[in-house]
Amino acid sequence: MCDWCTKHGAGKRWYMNARNYSNELADELRAKEYLSEQWTNFEQVYIRKIMGISSVDLGYKLKLPIIGRVLRWQAERMIHSESKNRNPRRADGHFGQVIPLEEAKIILGNLAAEPIIENYCMCRWMQRGIKERCCINFGVLSTVIEKLPRFIPENNTARISREEAMERIEEHNRRGYVASVWFQPVPYINAICSCENPECGGLRLRQDFGLHTVYKSEYVVRVDADNCQACGMCVHKCQFGAIRLVPSLGRAVVDPRRCWGCGVCRHSCAHDALNLVPREEVPVARGRF
Amino acid sequence: MLGLPEKIRIEVDYEKCGERGKVDPRECCRCLRVCDPAVLIMHETLSVEQDPIDPQYWRITPVWNSLCTKCMKCVEVCPEGAIRVF
Ligand code: SF4
Ligand code: SF4
Ligand code: SF4
Ligand code: SF4
Ligand code: SF4
Repeated sequence: MCDWCTKHGAGKRWYMNARNYSNELADELRAKEYLSEQWTNFEQVYIRKIMGISSVDLGYKLKLPIIGRVLRWQAERMIHSESKNRNPRRADGHFGQVIPLEEAKIILGNLAAEPIIENYCMCRWMQRGIKERCCINFGVLSTVIEKLPRFIPENNTARISREEAMERIEEHNRRGYVASVWFQPVPYINAICSCENPECGGLRLRQDFGLHTVYKSEYVVRVDADNCQACGMCVHKCQFGAIRLVPSLGRAVVDPRRCWGCGVCRHSCAHDALNLVPREEVPVARGRF
Repeated sequence: MLGLPEKIRIEVDYEKCGERGKVDPRECCRCLRVCDPAVLIMHETLSVEQDPIDPQYWRITPVWNSLCTKCMKCVEVCPEGAIRVF
């Protein structure tokens, strides 16, 4: 459990608190206006200048003496903003956390507000020019995105049932996509994404620039040395280079400091050798969300 | 320039690809796909600096320059010779 669970979890993990999915909360936060602004302008998020600075060559800017530190502080503040006058165009208060398939299915099956849609992934479009239908959105966000044709498959309604949503997230996860759940704006939850690293802008900002746009999951994976047959299949699945095969040892080894606990590697293991354990139980990973 | 980090310069010529060029990047996307670290971003243009956006025209902007490996694959693959990396 991280700070966001303490603040918005009502004793549970933040994304297991039903209130964070409710239409009442969306109304209270005026989420419809925020989300319309944010999604109409989505592709310019890196290009747009905010107080004179855009994300163009962010890596260079962050390394500048003094300016870099101010910029990092300001970016973190924006990402986690809970202030009343959040700016949707720069995605204030928009961040997420990686979750394993089991939790994604619980959310889609029980907590997500209807209607549920599955639309084109914006990150893969911007980064690779690929239209992949794998972003599952719900509640007020669905009604906003439905009005923006570029996110919606042609001659198609994007709406899916709860059962379909659960099937789709399983397909994506088995394919090797990492499931993540999103606040936008905090604490309203309305999306489960299926991401690749670094095509996902959130993972990119965290993994390459250390900004907390996405938190790691509540778990890390552990290898059962007795069951592992050293086939190496899991290594290809990991988006984060956290698992490797050690030929001399005859088994796979995980670096829990690199592991995001997405659980995706498990789908490739035919020998039941990979299990998620709570992050809290592993000293080097504890508290490192 | 002691103390300043290295700057990797990538330029896209919008007279060749983008709002003033003959290629619409949405129809090509080659540079986006050959780049291992995914340095380039495709987006709608912002006419007159910021607002309003002009959704008719799209362009490529290098955003994650610090991760560029200077492999030159984007330069080689571009049918218009629109990209420079230096
Ligand atoms: S967060 Fe993930 S699934 Fe959502 S748009 Fe970005 S890459 Fe696509
Ligand atoms: S090793 Fe960790 S980060 Fe890599 S796929 Fe497995 S759970 Fe995910
Ligand atoms: S897939 Fe399973 S059996 Fe194969 S190396 Fe990984 S953990 Fe071991
Ligand atoms: S030179 Fe290589 S790494 Fe750099 S932007 Fe072009 S393709 Fe990407
Ligand atoms: S490869 Fe060249 S023409 Fe094609 S999208 Fe990239 S910059 Fe434009």
